Amino acid sequence: MSPRRIAVTGLGAVSALGQTAAANWEAVREGRSGIGRHTFEGGDHAPEPVALPVALCEDGFAAPLERSMGRKVSGGLDRFALLALSAAFEALHAAGLIGHAALSDRTAIVLGHGQGGQETLEKCYERYFGLRSQRMHPASVPKIMPSSAVSAVAMQFGVHGPVFATTSACASSAHAVIQGASLVQSGLADIAIVGGSESIATPGCMAAWQAIQALADETCRPFSRNRDGMVMAEGGAVLVLESYEHAEARGAAVLGEYLGAGMSSDAFHITQPSLDGCAAAIRQAMRAGGLEGEEEVLIAAHGTGTPLNDRNEAAAIRAAIGDAAAAWPVIATKSAHGHLIGGSAALQAVIALQALRAGLAPPILNCDEPDPECEIDLVVGQVRPIRARRALVNAFAFGGLNASLAFAA
Amino acid sequence: MKVSESELLDLIAEEAIVDRTTLKREAALGDLGISSLDLITMLFELEERYGVVVEEAEMPQMANLGELVDFLLSRINAEPVA
Repeated sequence: MSPRRIAVTGLGAVSALGQTAAANWEAVREGRSGIGRHTFEGGDHAPEPVALPVALCEDGFAAPLERSMGRKVSGGLDRFALLALSAAFEALHAAGLIGHAALSDRTAIVLGHGQGGQETLEKCYERYFGLRSQRMHPASVPKIMPSSAVSAVAMQFGVHGPVFATTSACASSAHAVIQGASLVQSGLADIAIVGGSESIATPGCMAAWQAIQALADETCRPFSRNRDGMVMAEGGAVLVLESYEHAEARGAAVLGEYLGAGMSSDAFHITQPSLDGCAAAIRQAMRAGGLEGEEEVLIAAHGTGTPLNDRNEAAAIRAAIGDAAAAWPVIATKSAHGHLIGGSAALQAVIALQALRAGLAPPILNCDEPDPECEIDLVVGQVRPIRARRALVNAFAFGGLNASLAFAA
Repeated sequence: MKVSESELLDLIAEEAIVDRTTLKREAALGDLGISSLDLITMLFELEERYGVVVEEAEMPQMANLGELVDFLLSRINAEPVA
């Protein structure tokens, strides 16, 4: 028996680009960036403030959720969980599932996060190490744990099925999408609320990211010869996956289809990527999604803007796809919304599905001079009309944890 | 006086995430949906804002919101011990 087909019936997104899936799509289509310089000020016990490029969400993103459902769940969350909950509300509302009977027993929630409640953790450390106080806020542990976001979504919408979080650094939400989809494919659920979020642009955490020398001085320039690193971002994105039969039976609008995925581990290095590992994930996704032999497929690259990732990813795309890669348009929207770490793959899937539906590939920003070492079809300059009906979404994490997702519109 | 009764009720409504208009003196804490975790969260906020340390174990048994408010106001607004 072939696995159940999976429809996408809802999208939600919050990032520096906007507070809905549609607003995020409009921004990348128009070539707008959410990246700006922000001063990180750690308080009385911290070193001197540091100004760094970053892509932060404007406050107020939880307002639609709280107007509709109150603050009882959202009021006690770290920002990373509130971002996920807000995106989940938008996606479920769009899918027509708020209050639907299927949420109770036939729905799964799988969300990915690289770290968890970093803002809360740093406040605890300030009290403990800085103020030398033994008294912590009683909500500290439930706000820090990475699974607090999926618990919040379950409590808010009354979901009693399989609920858990995934973590694989920058690929966390890609693995979450795949896990949620397999729960629907195996029949353990009819609906899966999948995606991820991150909010680690905090003073202490940014210092750690500086130490790893992965951050850009000015901005994110994917696949450009003068690229010098990634730009940290916060945000969250959620997709509602649903078995086709279930979606059709309740008359839900189908926004796209999840076709399959590939996963691999480099087993090589904790920060350096490997060509073989990334190519293996792309090959598996192409096979699972039936993309081999397609004339044109949209590739939403991991495209962090670090020298190593982009060169390796371009080579992995060439190795996996072969000569056909010359005609497969590659986009890299981290140049606009920055790197949401655990939330990135889900946001890029939300954008890629809208790009397929619109027949438009949004431009890679700040790619001043395409790197001749990256021999792929980069979409630069302006938005480009495409014929592709299918997309690959890549996510390659620190520690060599790779995933590639295949979607159709 | 550091805090008025009205300001304290604002804080309780915010921290326990309950509707401010339901906060009547004669209401039982359980009926208001104020849990023991909400109570500890409130005590934590009082410490952050007013520098008053109240341990949960020091709190007497209280039948309703009025008694809680009177107890907290007496502690917050007490003259500092020299």
